[in-house]
Amino acid sequence: MASRNPILRLLIGIAVIPALLRWLLGQRIWAVAALTWRAAFRFRLFWVLTILLLGSVVVLPLLIRDDGTARGFIQIMLTYTLSVITALLGFSTLWLACGTLARDIEDSSMQMVVVKPIGRWQIWLGKFIGIMMLNAVLLALSGLSVYALLQWRAKQLDPRERVILRNEIFVARAALKEPLPDIEGTVNIALQKVMRETPLTPQQQEETRRLLRADISSRHQDVPPNHLRRWTIELGLLRHTLRDTPMFLRVKFHTAQTNNAGTYLGLWNIGPPDSPQVRSVPQSLAADTFHEIEIPPNLFDASGKLTIDFENRNNSALSFPLDEGLEVLYREGGFGLNFIRGLGIVYCWLALLTALGLASASLLSFPVAAFCSISLLLVCLSGGTLSTVVSEGTVTGLDHETGAGGGTVVDLVLLPFFKALLGLVKLVQEVSPIESLSTGRSITWSQLGGAFAKIVLLLGGIISLVGILFFTRRELATTQSQS
Amino acid sequence: MKTAIDTTPAPARRDPQSAEAVVVVRGLSKVFKDFWGRSKARAVDGVDFEVRKGEVFGLLGPNGSGKSTTVKMLLGLLHPTRGHIEVFGKSPRHVATKSRIGYLPEESYLYRYLNSHETLDFFGNLFHLPPGDRRQRTEQLLDMVGLTQTRTRAVGEFSKGMQRRIGLAQALINDPDLVILDEPTAGLDPIGCREVKDLILALARRGKTVILSSHLLSDVEDVCDRVVIYYGGRIQAMGTLKELLSNRDAVRITTPPLSKEKMQQVLELIRADVAEDRIKIDNPTQNLESYFLDVVARARSADAQTSGAQSGGQVAAYLRGSESDAPAATARILDRLTLPAAREPDPVPVAAAEPAVDRSRLESLAKPAEPAAAPVAPASTPERPTAVDLSEANTKLSSLLNKPKE
Repeated sequence: MASRNPILRLLIGIAVIPALLRWLLGQRIWAVAALTWRAAFRFRLFWVLTILLLGSVVVLPLLIRDDGTARGFIQIMLTYTLSVITALLGFSTLWLACGTLARDIEDSSMQMVVVKPIGRWQIWLGKFIGIMMLNAVLLALSGLSVYALLQWRAKQLDPRERVILRNEIFVARAALKEPLPDIEGTVNIALQKVMRETPLTPQQQEETRRLLRADISSRHQDVPPNHLRRWTIELGLLRHTLRDTPMFLRVKFHTAQTNNAGTYLGLWNIGPPDSPQVRSVPQSLAADTFHEIEIPPNLFDASGKLTIDFENRNNSALSFPLDEGLEVLYREGGFGLNFIRGLGIVYCWLALLTALGLASASLLSFPVAAFCSISLLLVCLSGGTLSTVVSEGTVTGLDHETGAGGGTVVDLVLLPFFKALLGLVKLVQEVSPIESLSTGRSITWSQLGGAFAKIVLLLGGIISLVGILFFTRRELATTQSQS
Repeated sequence: MKTAIDTTPAPARRDPQSAEAVVVVRGLSKVFKDFWGRSKARAVDGVDFEVRKGEVFGLLGPNGSGKSTTVKMLLGLLHPTRGHIEVFGKSPRHVATKSRIGYLPEESYLYRYLNSHETLDFFGNLFHLPPGDRRQRTEQLLDMVGLTQTRTRAVGEFSKGMQRRIGLAQALINDPDLVILDEPTAGLDPIGCREVKDLILALARRGKTVILSSHLLSDVEDVCDRVVIYYGGRIQAMGTLKELLSNRDAVRITTPPLSKEKMQQVLELIRADVAEDRIKIDNPTQNLESYFLDVVARARSADAQTSGAQSGGQVAAYLRGSESDAPAATARILDRLTLPAAREPDPVPVAAAEPAVDRSRLESLAKPAEPAAAPVAPASTPERPTAVDLSEANTKLSSLLNKPKE
């Protein structure tokens, strides 16, 4: 039967979407959205972007230098292609969002629309939805091509490597960690103990607190030479579902003293302590990068406790960061759905950029709006610089020898702005879909929902409200009103 | 100044005093400011006027006198610096009221990448018209403005006149109660100008209110009931055309050529009361517009080809009223009859075969104390339409518009 044909069903599904949207949005908003969409085709923007996106998906893997392993290649390919797609779509979205509204205002065609019985908020929303429809199609097309390319590449590998890929990249894995220790609580208790013995001035208190914090953190993180560090991971109810399933240890450490070999020897003992089940895995690993070690099935005890011991067999101390030093990864779902959720988060980012572009075009002329919003995007993308500025407390930079600097008028103005920006950037980048996908980490539905709520509804909503307010109050006929 | 015996069919106009006010403007001022809030230009300065239902109201003035600024404030595109505007009793920015307004701006502000069909469909959507209505009105409007042949060409490729036509079509897609036309005939050829003016008259006959902004005096004179004249942002004169233009100190009589003796007799009679230097005799000339239309109509009947916009068809059916609506049907018949009549050379000479009309006109004109006492039926005004009249009128219209309608 025809209705059982999946391609036909897909086509019917695609045809139903515009009808459904039209019904949901109403005739007027839909008309503006469809007009925006049509403009993208008539100005050939859609085709140029499609060619650019598909071109980058095909060409980039040819230019990539990898570590020689299939896993490394696929990982880098995934990271690069998704990053390029996100960047291209991000900039084109901003450009288009600024252009579609500002140009309409500048060439006066907006005058013809606002004199019709359509609220300005509806015009604004129509533009937003038109751009997001375009983004949905472009993101789906490029996502699909990345996915197809990955599958095609994977098929050419030998079966052993394919198993590795299936276990480590083409998978959605969740992570379990040791609960974070209450460092601040411990620091407070220690500080009070010190202050009972010696009264401290407020400045001394701060300094002491800083030193205590460093000391206590390092006690949790550092493994001195020939010492053992034990992690205990509680699986809880997962012990039932994870029976007979291999897991992965994902580790990363730093070292203060580098050795000639560049790798550091350690012995991992995994399994219930003092039981014959314990598996010893000697590993020589490089510092400052992530490594994955397979954990054979069923090494946790009856209560779901998994014990991992690490013996430092080097002459220097190794430091496992508290947040990402050691995680146990387990399979939670398939790669396909995870990939879609990852693209979903990228789509949330694009929604935010659309709102930003439209809001700036509601107030400014096209070149100014495009310049301002793209500059803002570039500043936000250089998150490292932002956090340096905020942590140093100055834009102009500290003199690292004297510790002097800061306190200028520029700092007074820019620091609060940068702090706010950094806060926003952290909020937006809370879940990093590209990194998660390239490391086979699970992006959960709740993470996607959270990203939608925070990025689209909260941030995008605030920006949209401001944009709509400006657009509603703007006089649209000032350019040629002198006759 | 001369008083002509007015034989142009006067539309069945309304009594402006008793009709409800559609637009009320009180103390309206607009000052354009620069980025720093300093006054740059005072475009409109303390303007008051009212436009009543069914009127054709003209905003007349030279370029830069504040007409378009006033229009844009009426539409909510600019905000008044001072003063008060009501359109249908609401603020100009009230969204629902806009469904009763049609607007043609002074230039084509349409989306250049849409074709004429898509343009009308888009604006029809904004008026929440159901698909059937949208399709039907789009077809009728395209036919009316003569763009059926170019429906798939992008509006951006249109000539200025064609853009004007599609602009006019979009202004009428919602069958508006108030039509605001900013320089509607700018860029149109004389035929297009005539068609636009006929359309305005047809709209007025259906009780629609029309606000027309123009610096072309003939546009305003041909169609407006009442005008305001702007200069420097202020209203310099306001009133009905009759009030503003009629000259009660002179009389003009138009007749077919008379014999020399008859002429002498008439002049003798007049010379008895009026000094010789105050009498002026000449041949009435038709204006260039009428002459041009005549020439083109003759060329059309010889089936000349053109690659530009076609001359428009009939006023779209929905603008003339529905088929089943009896009063509207009468209005439609009137439209058909008056459209070709408006193309007649103007003024039409008084027909010698109807002396009764002549006499009554002469009597009324001979009494300057009560000039407008009795409404005088124009000599060429058609009788109540009969079936024969109708078919004749249709033939005339078809030949003018080069659209045989057998």
